[in-house]
Amino acid sequence: MFYNVLNGVKAIEYGNLISAPFCAKMLADIGTEVIKIEKPERGDDSRRLEPFLQDIQHGAERSGLFQYLNMNKLGITLNPETATGKKMFMELLKRADIFIENNPPARMKRLGLSYEFVKRINPHIVMTSITPFGQTGPYRDYKGCELVTTHMGVVGNISTREGDVSKEPIKYPAHLFSFQAGLSAAAGTLGAFYHQRVTGSGVQLDVSEQESVIQNLNAATARYSYAKQIISRTDVLSVAPSHILPCKDGYIYNALAEEHQWWRFVEVMGHPDWADNELFKDATSRAKYWDALKPLLLEWTMQYTVEEIYRTSQEKGIPIGAVRTADQVLKDKQMAAREFFIEMKHPGNGKRQYPGVPYLFSDINREEPAAAPSLGQHNEEIYCERLGYTRNDLDKFREAGVI
Amino acid sequence: MIEGNRGKDLPFLKGIRVIALTWVWAGPWMGAVLADMGAEVIKIETNQRLDHQRITRILEDPGKEFSQKPDINHGLFNITNRGVKSCTLNLKQPEGVEIFKKLVKISDIVITNLSPRVMPGWGLDYTRLKEIKPDIILVSLPAFGSTGPDKDYVSYASTIEAAGGLSASFGYPGEEPVLSGTYPGDPIGSMYGVFSVLAALNYRSITGRGQHVDVAQSESVASLIPEVTMEYVINGRIRPRMGNRDEIMAPHACYPCKGEDKWVAIAVSNDVEWRALCNVMNNPEWTKDEKFSDQFSRWQNQDELNKLIATWTKDCTHYEVMHKLQKAGVAAGASLNIEEAINDPHIKERGVFIEQTHPVAGKTIVYRSPWTSALTASHDPAPCLGEHNDYVFNKLLGISEKEIDQLIDKKVIY
Repeated sequence: MFYNVLNGVKAIEYGNLISAPFCAKMLADIGTEVIKIEKPERGDDSRRLEPFLQDIQHGAERSGLFQYLNMNKLGITLNPETATGKKMFMELLKRADIFIENNPPARMKRLGLSYEFVKRINPHIVMTSITPFGQTGPYRDYKGCELVTTHMGVVGNISTREGDVSKEPIKYPAHLFSFQAGLSAAAGTLGAFYHQRVTGSGVQLDVSEQESVIQNLNAATARYSYAKQIISRTDVLSVAPSHILPCKDGYIYNALAEEHQWWRFVEVMGHPDWADNELFKDATSRAKYWDALKPLLLEWTMQYTVEEIYRTSQEKGIPIGAVRTADQVLKDKQMAAREFFIEMKHPGNGKRQYPGVPYLFSDINREEPAAAPSLGQHNEEIYCERLGYTRNDLDKFREAGVI
Repeated sequence: MIEGNRGKDLPFLKGIRVIALTWVWAGPWMGAVLADMGAEVIKIETNQRLDHQRITRILEDPGKEFSQKPDINHGLFNITNRGVKSCTLNLKQPEGVEIFKKLVKISDIVITNLSPRVMPGWGLDYTRLKEIKPDIILVSLPAFGSTGPDKDYVSYASTIEAAGGLSASFGYPGEEPVLSGTYPGDPIGSMYGVFSVLAALNYRSITGRGQHVDVAQSESVASLIPEVTMEYVINGRIRPRMGNRDEIMAPHACYPCKGEDKWVAIAVSNDVEWRALCNVMNNPEWTKDEKFSDQFSRWQNQDELNKLIATWTKDCTHYEVMHKLQKAGVAAGASLNIEEAINDPHIKERGVFIEQTHPVAGKTIVYRSPWTSALTASHDPAPCLGEHNDYVFNKLLGISEKEIDQLIDKKVIY
């Protein structure tokens, strides 16, 4: 864990890939004991997602993504499709405060693991179910993934500006919105858990990945609500500069929404003559004549590095951003001062840097996080020491495909 | 306050009071989500410096006159501040700060996304708040954190995304980075803020102790795209811009459909789904080509594959493709615009968008938090500026009407 906030709180994760595992990771990061249940033999499918050390997948223990998503957890294997497996699953749920899962609703029902069954054996449990489209409605059984839910949640359609209508709309990088769904679910789960502590009653939290994407739509919703406008990825920005501009060794995000910011930036550029041209007199006009302005700006930006422009501008209070590549993020002095990146040793990948947590607690000491479990690493600890089975039983469970 | 409610099904945070020193998007959305959970969220505003979103023009309709009246033009404000209360208090005046402290005494949580130098400048840092109320929870949400050499750097969501490594990875394969269209950097920060508030609240209920949790938005973004930094850590490579491409899946793209600028997203993760897709397309001859025979060869030849699939999708609507493929077990989704989403039968049934009547702005569409439960609170419209001054200053703090009038004259309540 990073901070021991929820000392003694117990959660079960029956998750796959990103959303539920990330939700459970966030709870594990603040001291919840999370037991992650994986399917025997193959385990979580994120064990087969990039990046792998030296690009070699080689078994279940080399995915950097899996290790990030599952740090600070205990890991067991269990197959609830078997009668014995189902019984053991229920024993684990009986002892838990929180249950996090992201399986298709029909599958959970068939397994007897949907909330209507779970609450009978543990009425106090908070059950967080994360699915592409939620537990109800006509699309509840539809398949989703990062690409599909991003587009069904409108962001896919409007992820960029000043785009080319002949090109397909694109999603944001990596698995941003699957992660955001897990993050939202973790926030919701803590709300439900607080309620459980106060009132004693459990509840199911029905988290939809599509709705998690929709929470990014404030401008699109406002424009539609008040002006019946439909935002499009080909829309031209109404104020300029709010653009990404190349410079000597990379890019800067030149976001100057306010007039005084622009004029301070003009000073940083040494107040070239063209800046006083009537066409560039205000943000709206600069947007209108952006094609004329852009080459003039490039003439200046291409002479300097990202760091030079970023630092000089920020020292004058101008909100220019450095478009950081991965190596630059990793050596960023600001993140380093907050010890954002951490070092962790894992048997599969050795000692590596991982992103840590973006928050600092003032009055709790930060602790060393634990590496993600190898497949079935804690079977003996959980089944024998907690549930009272013998090692002999474990052998039989393995034979029968239960664990 | 809490004891009498035991065993009753109330919204999660019934009885919890939050003071919000928030503006623009990341801070207010944190308040709206807490309000959805049943907390009473009181936003402190001032005419000294209005929330940008109250005065940012959203009405591009040329037929409508833009007025400086903050309640009419604040389209963005009304979405991100729904469910909260508003009072006007000028914290540049010492009397304003004293009133703020009285409010802290009867509250549980303070949330803020103002620059990290602002609250300490008013003498309202965490140490001081703790003296006023020992178990107070403070959650701050600055761009880069409240500590470190660049803590005072100024930013927008776009530049926060740039700092977190998102912008450099965002774009079409082989092309320059593209502009961020929806600025996820802000709501990502908000949800980390809500998570931090609730972690601290649970901690308080266990230990009786308060906490200051400081969330850096730039780090929040970086924590949701670990693939970007880990690719460099593990293999020394900068992840290229990939558009809609996946590392393994193909087809995995958007395809043009019938209508103007209409697209459908299709993602195929294995051979079973590929055969299902072929069946829905009526098995055209090209699907039998060896270069599409397994996942790896489909991935290698995806540009050609995508063009061929587009010859089928272009004669169907995006919804037709989606429903047909989903019924066959293939992940597909129409690339919806905002109007289509608001009118979509699934989204409607789940009540994601809510139509409210704002007292000044009239009909306003907002959206709820991304979850439902049996215990979600009702959703009030966003407040007008200072709408709850009487409630906060008179009812909660017991300041007499006469004193309130004097404070208004002195521009303390302002």
